[in-house]
Amino acid sequence: MEAFLQHLLNGLLLGGTYALLGIGLTLIFGLRNVVYFAHGEFYTLGAYLTFAAASLLRVNFVLAIAVAILGGSLLGALCERVLLRPLRGESIDTTMLVMIGLWIATQNGELLAWGGVAKSIPHPFPTAPIVIGPVSVAPLRLFVLAAVLVLIAGSHVLIHRTRLGVAMRATFQDRETAALMGIDVGGIHTLTFAFGSGLAAAAGALLGPIFLVYPSMGDLAALKAFSVVILGGLGNFAGATLGGVILGIAEELGAGYVSSGYRDAVGFVIIILVLLVRPSGLFARAGRVG
Amino acid sequence: MRRWVLTWIAPTSLALVIVSAGVAQQDPIKIGVIAPLSGPVAASGNYVRMGAEIARDWINARGGVHGRRVALLVEDNKSDPKEAAGAAEKLIARGQVPVLMGAWGSSMTLAAMPKLEEYGVPMVVETSSAASITKRGNPWVFRISPPSEMEALGLEKYLGALGIRQADFMAVNTDWGRGAVTAFGDMLRRHNAGIGAVEFMDQAATDMNAQLTKIRSAGGDTLFLTTSVEQITLVLKQAQELRVARRIITTGGSSSPSQLVKQAGAAAEDSYHIVFFMPWFPEAMPDPNLAKAFVDEWTRRGNPFEGLTEGFRGHDGIATIAEAIRIASRAEPQAIREALWKVSLMGLNGPIKFEKDGPAGRESGQSRPSIFLVQIKGGKAALPAFLRK
Amino acid sequence: MTTPFWLPNPYHLHILIMAGIFSILALSLNLLLGYTGLLSLGHAAFFGIGAYTSALLALKAAWPFVAGFVAAVMLAGGSGYAIGRLALRLRGAYFVLVTISFAGVASLVSVNWMELTNGPLGLPGIPAAEVAGFVFRTKRAVYYLVLAVAGLAYLVCRRLVRSRIGRAFVALRENEALAASVGVDGARHLGLATVISAGMAGGAGSLYAHYTRFVSPEVFLFSYTVTMVIMVVAGGKGTLAGPIVGAVIFTILPEALREATSWQWQMLLYGVLLILTLLFLPRGIVPALTAWRDRR
Repeated sequence: MEAFLQHLLNGLLLGGTYALLGIGLTLIFGLRNVVYFAHGEFYTLGAYLTFAAASLLRVNFVLAIAVAILGGSLLGALCERVLLRPLRGESIDTTMLVMIGLWIATQNGELLAWGGVAKSIPHPFPTAPIVIGPVSVAPLRLFVLAAVLVLIAGSHVLIHRTRLGVAMRATFQDRETAALMGIDVGGIHTLTFAFGSGLAAAAGALLGPIFLVYPSMGDLAALKAFSVVILGGLGNFAGATLGGVILGIAEELGAGYVSSGYRDAVGFVIIILVLLVRPSGLFARAGRVG
Repeated sequence: MRRWVLTWIAPTSLALVIVSAGVAQQDPIKIGVIAPLSGPVAASGNYVRMGAEIARDWINARGGVHGRRVALLVEDNKSDPKEAAGAAEKLIARGQVPVLMGAWGSSMTLAAMPKLEEYGVPMVVETSSAASITKRGNPWVFRISPPSEMEALGLEKYLGALGIRQADFMAVNTDWGRGAVTAFGDMLRRHNAGIGAVEFMDQAATDMNAQLTKIRSAGGDTLFLTTSVEQITLVLKQAQELRVARRIITTGGSSSPSQLVKQAGAAAEDSYHIVFFMPWFPEAMPDPNLAKAFVDEWTRRGNPFEGLTEGFRGHDGIATIAEAIRIASRAEPQAIREALWKVSLMGLNGPIKFEKDGPAGRESGQSRPSIFLVQIKGGKAALPAFLRK
Repeated sequence: MTTPFWLPNPYHLHILIMAGIFSILALSLNLLLGYTGLLSLGHAAFFGIGAYTSALLALKAAWPFVAGFVAAVMLAGGSGYAIGRLALRLRGAYFVLVTISFAGVASLVSVNWMELTNGPLGLPGIPAAEVAGFVFRTKRAVYYLVLAVAGLAYLVCRRLVRSRIGRAFVALRENEALAASVGVDGARHLGLATVISAGMAGGAGSLYAHYTRFVSPEVFLFSYTVTMVIMVVAGGKGTLAGPIVGAVIFTILPEALREATSWQWQMLLYGVLLILTLLFLPRGIVPALTAWRDRR
């Protein structure tokens, strides 16, 4: 029983970060319907920016994370303006290939800049775990969970309670009408990308100190983000949050009780099953997909 | 018709132009090196390359081999077997190298081996640990690194002092990890020690909490860990968080205890590591002067200290090859192969001399490297208490 | 083609053989991507299934190469059929994700199912291809074999594309609802496209296995799929020559970059070149060349 509780707790903590990745991606994906491969790279970038700030510039830990989020957002906006906007009219595959090119270039650029050796990010939390009954958890992970909750809550407020959020949701639903209503659709695109990339960078910044930072860390994370998006439904904020948690717990329990080798298959199998059975996601209203 | 001509001639001429910008005539002896310089194990591949470069420079400083300089042709196998085979092909067919060193990972080496037979060029294997490499009946393969079975034998004599009664295993899901589990498992069974949980992790995995939770429940006294230094760091940290309190022994020689201390901190305390080179106390190595000189040169070049536990492989590989060329008196593949059987030299790890391994008539060469055990105590690598004189 | 005679260096032949194998892959992907408009990013799975099938049959059941090749084509085609059925209900990005997941699962199975695939240790010592007693052991022989199969693949694509079925594919790509309204059976045609496409990829896998004589889970790497997609889109999807041109150029390019620059910059330049090619020639190289030629 105690192993089960520990697995559950592990899954919850992991799921929170998957949720962050998923939320960012579901917004971007919902807007452009492009398989946005570069999302994983913003995750990696967030981690490297935090490393640079905390380790090289010796900035305060929380500030370092904030720097990473800001950096991620700015670069996301830049990416949208420079690469995606000129390709607005092109087919989905051309855009996707440009994203792939960006992915290859960025990852190898990071390899060039930082080298292949993984970096660890220094953090101010004690390493001795906190014991709560039968389960133990590192203080750093609790901080990450708290930060994730804050970010999710903040995002929710932004999307559902501000005018900007209304504009974003309107553009999702119907671009032409939104434009007719006077919304600056181009600006919304840029902002959505900035926001989504910022969240991805946040996930990387928060997970970087727990794990390690290396150039290919974003690959698997990106695929899991897609899994979360499918699970929760495209463009569905609450769906992505819940989806992230579900994926985290499913992976942990699968690895714990079925087989640790097939752990990453959980995300893939979820994608296949959900798309077979309920393509619009578990939490959206049913509808034709594609 | 014109479209046909256009689409076929253009790319082939492009190819011709590019590749004919190629190979210049050279006097130095060329040694091909295949290593993972990019991809997940890029750090290790680069350390091996750095060690190889030191060997090359030392050899050239002493006048080369029979008066000819030694040059290294380095190719990146990108941690991909297909690339490893392509790199071997390129080095042999284009670079005209008479001998190779490589390819670090066991799958990479296995993929390159058919090329060795196809072209008749020998290769010194400096890192790979899969048993099959020397058992496949490929007479062009000469390995100076220990297969997992030899590593296990190296640890066997310390079993009593360590007091292992029940062990669990965690290994990376590659031929290396699986081979280590089999080899050490067999060795433990011979001594009536129990085997508890056996868990694997994907090469790219970062979260091992599930496996560690299972191992915690299995309750052994020792955990054998076989994976790259990055994953070892993560396992140590997560084991500490989950309060998996037991003796940890890492195998494979790639654990770089110095890097573990830097990145895992207190979580690495008290862990044991099987290594093949001890840069912290070179005086304890079979050739203390050589070891000290290597460590000094390495640090003088500004290479990271953590890389020494891997970098020595590059040095020993090149030193072996150079010695074989010296014995053969010519840089010709068949002659080098015959000469490799006659090599008997003292490398950084210890004596290098090849014995026959594999099916009769088509044996590969396998040396008997020295195996060392160190422990992290007080944030530093040290000889375990029962080994200190 | 007489190429082996004026380009005798085995390394160059090796590049051309790989270009040939990738041409088959690119042609197969083009059937889906270029003609029916379905983007499959799991194509490496069919390649890998073909490679493993052929290898296992040769190693464990001592099947002759030709039989193994046919089995590879059929097994890969069968998996393609399964994916095709999924396509009935999904389009666009969702289909992409399913295909990625399929390839991901296939990859994990090949790594973990030790009894069948030998896991990460891979399958070494695969015998060379043999047809009616003639063993394709030398590079030159393999080159001609690959050329023959590639030629066959090209012919199949050409017949298919120029037939009524091919026109149906294009109709489905352009406007599915309209196509259905004139009686084009979407389900049947998409199924056919995916089966043929996957089967071809499986055949390429079989050739690969008997040429490199070693198969390991890395054949399922996403990077192979990415390479195929690059070849098709940059070469010019929806054309017949495009994938071939793309395959040749993008097999040679990484090797040329390996020559030209140090390994640190190789892949970085590759990514940048890719982006630039697509920004300036969004329809692909062959359509751009054709348009330029038509304009003169």
